[in-house]
Amino acid sequence: MERITQMMMTQGTIGNLNQQLNQLNSTETELSTGLSINQPSDNPYGASLAIQLGGQLSALSSYTGNISDGSAWTSQADSSLMDISQQVQSVQELVVQAANGTSTPEVLSADAAEVNQLITGIKQDANTQYDGQYIFSGTDTTTTPYQTGSNDAYQGNSGTIQRTIAPGGTTVQVNTDISQLLGNGQAGGDGLLLNTLRNISQDISAGNTASLGNDLTQLQGNMSKLGEIQANVGSVQDQLQLASTRIENMQTEVQTQLGSTEDVNMAQAMTQYSTEQASYNAALQASASALQTDSLANFLSG
Amino acid sequence: MPISSFMGLQTALSGLEANQEGIQTTSNNIANASTPGYTDESAVMTENYPLSLPNGTGGMQLGAGVDVNTISRASDEYLNNSYRATNTAASYASTESTTLNQVQSQLGEPSGTGISTQLANFWSSWNDLANNPANPAARQTVVNEGTTLAGGLNSLSEQLSAVQTQVSQQYSDLTGTGGELQTYAQQIATLNGEIAQAQGSGASANQLEDQRDQAISNLSALGTVSYTDLGSGQLTLDFGGSATPLVSGTTVTWPPTVTSASGGELGALISLSGPGGQIDSYLTDLDNVANALVTTVNTLSPGTPYFNPADTTAANIAVSATASTIQTTTTGTTGANDVALAIAGLSGGQADQTYGAFVAQVGNDAQNASNSQQTSQALLTSISNQVQSVSGVSLDQEMTNLLAYQQGYEASAKVMTAMQSMLNTLITQVGAGL
Repeated sequence: MERITQMMMTQGTIGNLNQQLNQLNSTETELSTGLSINQPSDNPYGASLAIQLGGQLSALSSYTGNISDGSAWTSQADSSLMDISQQVQSVQELVVQAANGTSTPEVLSADAAEVNQLITGIKQDANTQYDGQYIFSGTDTTTTPYQTGSNDAYQGNSGTIQRTIAPGGTTVQVNTDISQLLGNGQAGGDGLLLNTLRNISQDISAGNTASLGNDLTQLQGNMSKLGEIQANVGSVQDQLQLASTRIENMQTEVQTQLGSTEDVNMAQAMTQYSTEQASYNAALQASASALQTDSLANFLSG
Repeated sequence: MPISSFMGLQTALSGLEANQEGIQTTSNNIANASTPGYTDESAVMTENYPLSLPNGTGGMQLGAGVDVNTISRASDEYLNNSYRATNTAASYASTESTTLNQVQSQLGEPSGTGISTQLANFWSSWNDLANNPANPAARQTVVNEGTTLAGGLNSLSEQLSAVQTQVSQQYSDLTGTGGELQTYAQQIATLNGEIAQAQGSGASANQLEDQRDQAISNLSALGTVSYTDLGSGQLTLDFGGSATPLVSGTTVTWPPTVTSASGGELGALISLSGPGGQIDSYLTDLDNVANALVTTVNTLSPGTPYFNPADTTAANIAVSATASTIQTTTTGTTGANDVALAIAGLSGGQADQTYGAFVAQVGNDAQNASNSQQTSQALLTSISNQVQSVSGVSLDQEMTNLLAYQQGYEASAKVMTAMQSMLNTLITQVGAGL
């Protein structure tokens, strides 16, 4: 049988109490931080996974930001295009009226003035800004695409602006090349919207009803181009909407994974904490009485 | 055959003296019950040489009392040596674990304050810039986040170097002139001399041997120790696996050769802080993170490089671009964002992966060190218990011995009283008539 000395008992007691207190402390840290991994050595693989998942979450929230920025950008474009579309329809009505040949020169002159005003309005729509950037200017976002007045030349470029909307570098083009719709006016002679509108204004003001039929055909061609562009913008909006839902799902998924990696299981930790506390208390009590009385010296008298 | 009338008095006296020495030994044991390194002593009692008396058939022996001729130490060399070997291992593991814990607490991972968060913020700022490349606030944020990240790497590298310096300092403190290693070596050499002298003059050297054992045990925390008995109370002590003995008799060979294979605290300190040691390899890992950042980001940025291309270590990585020189595009137009998009796309790439692997490496090393510390500590406790079981003082045993010695003393005194009354009777009754 092993010989037990008082020093063994004291050292053993100190060691065991210390070990229990250590365990209690580590459970307490888990409870107070809510995390089961408080330093890399708690779970090296889990720690690196948590870092990786944290990075993914940050990237996903960037995509969410990109998507909402892209949505704002495209809905701005959509409303401007809608506005342009309404104004073009007004022009179309004026052209049809004027082509009847029943209007007086005064009326025609007023109609021409109205067409000119609508041209100004359309150019204004093309100069729409979002967050300080001209959305229809290609990548020349600080340059006004169309100058006011008679110069109808497109000032921007045909550069594309992309937003990353999903992991793996999936991008979507959020800007629209408005010059394909509006063109460079009469000076450009490209038959695009501004060219057509200037011709209309000229023909109405000159009462040149014969040319108006041709102008109307051209205008309808321009309108179908406008419709095409609007459809494109709409499909980008749909794409962003879909991406947004997908990113939300991914966020939930990554968040769950991160939670199961680094979050502490509260019920389990609380139970463990109570058990450890109870056993620590019991150990304290036992040690106190053992160290105080467990020697023959306490029972010898005289 | 007659015996001396006073012989019984001498016998009782030897009993009184022996029990008194026993009580003294017990008292010394009790007094030193908590003294580190103290070895339980016992008074070894032997019968005195008996008085031979011839009788009719041959002869008989009459006991002549008791004598204490040695105070023995309850020391077990085998246990002491295995305690020291375990102490060396436990001390190595504990030093390693403490330092690696210090290293990993500098990382601040996983939490919102470490490099991983700074990396995520950095990529995210490029992403925001891609959404509005001309925006001065977005451009400034990219510069700021990059500066924070570079600063984070600078200070982490500096902190790791500081831990390395502190560990080297600890090593030179222990091994320097007047350090712990030299003090113990000197102490053992001096004790060798004193023990030899004491034993030479026939005196007991128990207390000196306790001190020397304790000094050797203390030394075993610094590195591996082994010794050979030179006889006449002297030892030759080898330290840290070195070919030259550290202490030979009363001579200390200074300075000793210590390597990472020396074990103990010193071995751990060298393998942590030495050239090519563990902290060096962490610094290299961190440099790889910095280098990956500088290379991948700069490759994508035309014109003024974003990070200073000359500074590719964690200690010196720095942002050289300013809000006005940051390039968001290769086309030169203000609103284009191809470069910003590409850089934002580096998120989760080489730099992030290198850093993640670095954290996992530190975590693994710290976990291993902590596990081996716990294991060796448990082993040390168990061997320490065995040593204590043999060499420690049991108060119960001492109390029992005390009772025995006390009663032995009282009984011897009783014998003396009996002798006295016997002699009294003889002198007064028999001698009264003279």
